[in-house]
Amino acid sequence: MSRQNADPDIALKVVGAPRWTPEPDPRTPPGDPATLLTIDSDGVVSAFSGKVEYGQGIRNGFAMEIADELDVGVDSVQIVLGDTDLVPQDRGTTGSASTRTVGIQLRRAAATARRALIDLAATRLEVSAGSLKTRDGQVVPDDGSAGVRYADLLSGNSLTLDIPDVVQVKAVEEFQLMGRPARRIDAVSRVTGAAKYAQDVVVSGMLYGKILRPPSYGAKLRQIDTTRAERVSGVVSVVQDGDFVGVVAEREDVAEYAVEAIRARWEESRDTASDWNIPALLKERAEDLTALREGGDLGAGFGSADRVFENTYYVPYVSNAQMEPSASVARWDGDHLTIWSANRGPFAERDSLAEMFGLDTSQVRVTAAEIGGSFGTKTPTVSYEAARLAKAVDAPVRVSYNRAEEFSWSTVRPAATFEIKSGVDADGNIMAWDYAAFHAGENAFRGKRGADILYDVDNVRIGVAASESPLQSGSYRSLGGATNHFAREVHMDEIAVGLGLDPLEFRLRNLTHDRLRPCLIAAAEAFGWATRQKRPGVGYGMAIGYDAGSFTAQCVEVLVENGEARVTRVVVGFDCGLVVNPDGARNQIEGSIIMGMGTALWEAVEFDGGRVLNAGFARYRVPRIADTPEIEVVFTGGDDVPSSGAGEPGIVAIAPAIANAVRDATGTAIQELPIVPRL
Amino acid sequence: MHLKVNDESHEVTVDVERTLLSVLRHELGLTGTKYGCGEGNCGACTVLIDGEATRSCITPVTSAGGRDITTIEGLADGDTLHPVQEAFVEHTAFQCAYCTPGFIMSSTVLLDRNPAPDDEQIRSALSGHICRCGAYVRILKAVKSASSEPVQSEGGAS
Ligand code: FES
Ligand code: FES
Repeated sequence: MSRQNADPDIALKVVGAPRWTPEPDPRTPPGDPATLLTIDSDGVVSAFSGKVEYGQGIRNGFAMEIADELDVGVDSVQIVLGDTDLVPQDRGTTGSASTRTVGIQLRRAAATARRALIDLAATRLEVSAGSLKTRDGQVVPDDGSAGVRYADLLSGNSLTLDIPDVVQVKAVEEFQLMGRPARRIDAVSRVTGAAKYAQDVVVSGMLYGKILRPPSYGAKLRQIDTTRAERVSGVVSVVQDGDFVGVVAEREDVAEYAVEAIRARWEESRDTASDWNIPALLKERAEDLTALREGGDLGAGFGSADRVFENTYYVPYVSNAQMEPSASVARWDGDHLTIWSANRGPFAERDSLAEMFGLDTSQVRVTAAEIGGSFGTKTPTVSYEAARLAKAVDAPVRVSYNRAEEFSWSTVRPAATFEIKSGVDADGNIMAWDYAAFHAGENAFRGKRGADILYDVDNVRIGVAASESPLQSGSYRSLGGATNHFAREVHMDEIAVGLGLDPLEFRLRNLTHDRLRPCLIAAAEAFGWATRQKRPGVGYGMAIGYDAGSFTAQCVEVLVENGEARVTRVVVGFDCGLVVNPDGARNQIEGSIIMGMGTALWEAVEFDGGRVLNAGFARYRVPRIADTPEIEVVFTGGDDVPSSGAGEPGIVAIAPAIANAVRDATGTAIQELPIVPRL
Repeated sequence: MHLKVNDESHEVTVDVERTLLSVLRHELGLTGTKYGCGEGNCGACTVLIDGEATRSCITPVTSAGGRDITTIEGLADGDTLHPVQEAFVEHTAFQCAYCTPGFIMSSTVLLDRNPAPDDEQIRSALSGHICRCGAYVRILKAVKSASSEPVQSEGGAS
């Protein structure tokens, strides 16, 4: 593949920073200018983004936005994503929040191109630009006379445009595609088996690698004998470099077989927490709490309270368990490394690989294959392993994890312990809120997300601490958002029950937030909260939440019987501002609900002394199609509010809503997840 | 040995322990059939053997010799998608779509045997499959719409 800039066929090119925010925003710096959009001499539009597709439909979202701005068919728009040699750098920011800043900038780039096309047509037709419109890939005069195709306007041209500071993008009413249900442009390749995921990438001369795994986290290699592995027919090499040991073979199953033939003695670390004692250890082994927010006077707040509620909550480690286990192909051409991987952050991966091998970033190219789910995991580790093996054998190597490796050696959502103390007055107003969260993992960054409270309370302290993690903590949909919400929203119901207030009434009494309040009211109404029928075994619960600039309120119905809990109905109020692609957003929200339901009811990584004990779907229960509840989504955002994410925020409120519903059904408070093993 | 896949005959040299999945993916390059667990627990590797939905990850390749194997690549008729594929597209019954080939293969078998399954029957026929993206609501709709008693889709995909 050649670099797009050198392509002689490009007739128009729009250059700009990859991200744009209306006001400068230190959290989303615009980034270095790069080519964002090109139109070739046939009128084919290409747009370039450092974002990657991991099932959220981003390719489709961008394509619709650009097609709308440029008035071309969505089929003539190509979206190039996640190839570090071709697309603008997308550094640091991941997740739903930054996507909108990229999307709006692509729209601005498209609008810039549209403007230029109109100007070209004005010159050619000798009319004023104001008398021209664009439609179906043409510039057409208002008077109904013949238009000119973009391809004709551009032929023989080679324009480079900068995005001006002020760009007129289209208003919502002018959209043809955005805001309407649409078929995903990548749909056909996904139902015919043609889509190529990292697990499917084959490059010429490629060999297969398998890594020798220690029996537990932190184990040190003491002795090793690889003779038997070396003798297996089809084995190319057994690579050893300190504790890193891998087999490269002509076939994957041969590599796997040979790794099992290695004899190794490991020294395991004894002092790590196990699943049964970690809830307490998380607090004991935490660093000091960092105050995320402190306001008012806690002492005075508790002094004016009539009732004080105090409780501890625990959320276990859960596995991302995306369907595609991690995989990566590495190829060295001299001192240049090329990687095909399923990482959500190809630039971050490129940079870490460059650092690991002492290379300049220009010597590493990372190409994102289709990603078979991620939800935040998929670290550069597998690429590093592939690259080390590839270097040792001087041939391209693919490393693919099997399911047990994925469960044991990929990152997991950090476990967390929470302590909440709240004070309320006799009318149910929250007077004081003291919140401490201890999240497993090396830094408190993930645990801060969603820790703050959006209810009206003046006297507040939100403290978050990172704590020693016996497993490898990583990212998961909404990071700490979902776990923080569990503790807070379950605590809210405990107060409501304690005061004899309806959970909706109690929440509304303490909620003036201009987006969350209407969202909650809409969800409760759509659910029929006020008229819900109490029946044996049936419970109702609600929770609200926020994440990545979006807001949600969720009401659920559960049926608890014979030691099982079944979620039968979920109504989701969702405010993500302007909904660009309602069907795509719904798809994401439904997925979040299903996934969050698993974490509420069944999922927990079981481990003992650093060994994962349930590294397979037979022992790690995830939601199946038979568990699917009825899900209704009500969008409550305003069209004049910029779009925010739908992929992550959907998950934050579902686990506490389910816990609250189970409590409603059984009368027993839920303070730990998962629920079903405790019924 | 002889493998008949998607109406084409292939001569493959394989050793006894190899799974059908491994041969399909690595020898024949048919990567539409996915590896999800290798233990028969997720359904990603589902193919049809003589019309039966079968987990290729736990099927020794030797047991498939001479039988009729259909993979996701063999379902469409040229450019014309199979009605179940069409329905999955129509309802965007996926996100990452890694699980999709498996769900589609099992759904075709269900609909062949029972052209008008009810919701419970669809749930039970597909209960061996996992979709971690949680596209179940849409998968249910898609299968229903491909059946002879389709439902109107409500608000979702058009
Ligand atoms: S890969 Fe065969 S059932 Fe999971
Ligand atoms: S769509 Fe991703 S696993 Fe089903």
